[in-house]
Amino acid sequence: MDLSLDESQQILVDTFSEMLEKECPTTHVRDHEDTGFSESLWAQYCELGANAMGLPEAAGGLEMSLLDLGLVANLSGRALAPVPFLEVATVGRLLAKVAPEDAALGALAGGVPAASIALPRPHAVLGTSTTSGGRSLIPFGTIADQVVALDGDILYVAENGASRRSERVQDIGAGALAHWNLDRASDARILASGDEAVAAMRRADAEWKLLAGFWLTGIAQRALTIGSDYARERIQFGVPIGGFQAIAHPLAECAIRIDGAELLAQEAAWADTADPDRFEMLCSMAFAWGSQTAIRTADIALHTHGGYGFSTEYDIQLFYRRARALSSIAGGAKEELQTVAELCFDRDGSGKAASLLGGAQ
Amino acid sequence: MDFRLGEKAEEVKQEIRTFLAENFSEEDRKEAAEDGGGHNWELYRKLAAAGWVSAGWPKEYGGGGRDPYEILTLYWELCKAGFPWIGLLNNGFIGHTLMVMGTDYHREHFVPKIASGEIAFALGYSEPGSGSDVAGARVTATQDGDDWLINGEKMWTTTAHTAQYIFMLTRTSTQDRPHRGLSIFLVPTDVEGVEINAIHTMGGERSNGVSLTDVRVPDANRVGEVDKGWSVVRFALGLEQAMGYADLQERFIQQAGAWSLEAGPDGQRPFDDARIKEQLGQTAVHAEVSRLLRHRSTWLAAEGKDLGGKGAMTKSFSGTSYLDDAQSWMDLVGPAGLLKEDEDGALAGGNFDEAFRQTPVNTIYGGTVEILRSLVAEVDLGLPKSR
Repeated sequence: MDLSLDESQQILVDTFSEMLEKECPTTHVRDHEDTGFSESLWAQYCELGANAMGLPEAAGGLEMSLLDLGLVANLSGRALAPVPFLEVATVGRLLAKVAPEDAALGALAGGVPAASIALPRPHAVLGTSTTSGGRSLIPFGTIADQVVALDGDILYVAENGASRRSERVQDIGAGALAHWNLDRASDARILASGDEAVAAMRRADAEWKLLAGFWLTGIAQRALTIGSDYARERIQFGVPIGGFQAIAHPLAECAIRIDGAELLAQEAAWADTADPDRFEMLCSMAFAWGSQTAIRTADIALHTHGGYGFSTEYDIQLFYRRARALSSIAGGAKEELQTVAELCFDRDGSGKAASLLGGAQ
Repeated sequence: MDFRLGEKAEEVKQEIRTFLAENFSEEDRKEAAEDGGGHNWELYRKLAAAGWVSAGWPKEYGGGGRDPYEILTLYWELCKAGFPWIGLLNNGFIGHTLMVMGTDYHREHFVPKIASGEIAFALGYSEPGSGSDVAGARVTATQDGDDWLINGEKMWTTTAHTAQYIFMLTRTSTQDRPHRGLSIFLVPTDVEGVEINAIHTMGGERSNGVSLTDVRVPDANRVGEVDKGWSVVRFALGLEQAMGYADLQERFIQQAGAWSLEAGPDGQRPFDDARIKEQLGQTAVHAEVSRLLRHRSTWLAAEGKDLGGKGAMTKSFSGTSYLDDAQSWMDLVGPAGLLKEDEDGALAGGNFDEAFRQTPVNTIYGGTVEILRSLVAEVDLGLPKSR
């Protein structure tokens, strides 16, 4: 057992931490709330190779592991970086697998955030609709020109974003959301069909959720730091409020849950190659638990601030809103927990699949 | 990174499973649950004969030299099987402590007998007036020639009624701050002045209250220096807090999962109800997080790193999440969930009833969740000390 990062992972963390500290203070996040996307920050990401780090060498990538990608996602979450790292990484890897010659892959590898993904959301009350005229909310759908989607067992690219997407719709998380018409009757390019198509989308969905789990954990970690700092500084009744158990214990409980979220995301990423049978289940868990943890922590940290936490002047509200938004865009934790149960107990629907709990051997 | 416990732990798992298959029948499991005392001499001595009581002790002192991952696996498998393992846990620790912190007399007179399973100790920290405030112990030990006389009441002394000795925290001085006047004694349970009374719990455990009246103990039975017993106690509590109940959570979710996939009286699988599915997912996530936190504590210990608040995190999370799940399930499964194992119509072998009755104590003993959260707040978040 070894739960520490290796040297190259530590260097990766240091490099992105340094860049984000310099380029993405919360003032930068606030300055881009009107679009949800920072072109200049994304350029910095691409300069460090973030757009192609998870791609195979043949596609111009660095063949880095999902754990490496996860570390970058985690730091991005801490900084609330308004960049499409999750979507570019996920779609790029999907295309590299099923359509390595596809032009969209070349664009992504070249740093253009050209494509996004329609996450399946199978249990959500209002899930992804691919029927004619149906609309789906797409993360970074405002800047993508293409969206990868699954309709039944057809995996396709909805092209020509200009004719498909709505204007940016403003959301709680100040994201770059747009409604997309995913109708595949026209302007659609088929990537794969049958089992291969379903498997490819399952895989991309799992990877997006894994990286989102890292990202949400990052949101929670920073929110906890902000809340704890405030609890040490804020004086009421003549003492720092962090000395009151009513303040300290909820924050401590968040610290515990966050450590669990980080370990869970790291385990899932590690399982990609080391424990593949459990990979999908762990990705789903990482997203569900990351969601619950980030939403709870941002809430506790906000309330640690009393009234100030509710004012736009204080940063904690940025975290409160984004934790909720990133979870909901994939359907939310309640939806994801059902997927966890299916992956855990009933993967093939027969009800006879062995439980995948119990850890790696 | 590598999340595997390793080959040696895997071997232990197979070995313990074989041991359980050969020695621990379904009848034994039910008997252990019925008895609730956490210890069975016959089974315990079989484990001792196979070297498991002393498995985690250092090799240079004659222990098994097993690594923390192997010991984790030993406890995990026994606990998950419903084996009465409290005696093993306590004596694994106490023997280890005596080896390292005891006198030559302790090492020669007690340690080999603990290792062979001839004798066993119970832990005597809590008192009627001191629970979380362990250092507030008021059982007194006063010197009388070469002996000490012990007086007072101990509480929650689990396995005292089956043990030959109690590893007991006593007050030897009131001159300094409370934790600087404590000493540890090995107190026999069969001598004059010791009275052991059963305490039964809602969860089916049998614990004890122990009353001590002028109990005479030779000075040779003192562990560590007079008034310096606190460091020994802290070591013990840290060990217990780093464990949690992930093994039981795993058993609980596996039983709930298996139950949910069977069609109920209406022909429907509970699994297909979205509420059940969601709760299964939640319980599974909690079990996985508990397991990871426990594995991390074990890894830190194996690497010789400082646990900080990480041990406290392990027990705090496990205790609260298991309790939450047990209560949530009871609210979901309806009246049949109330029925005990073997009752007509009981669900999942009494899984829900048992967890509902047993989990409340998990956030209490071995360090309450409130004490643990204060520790995490201080150590990991740098918040002011709070009481």
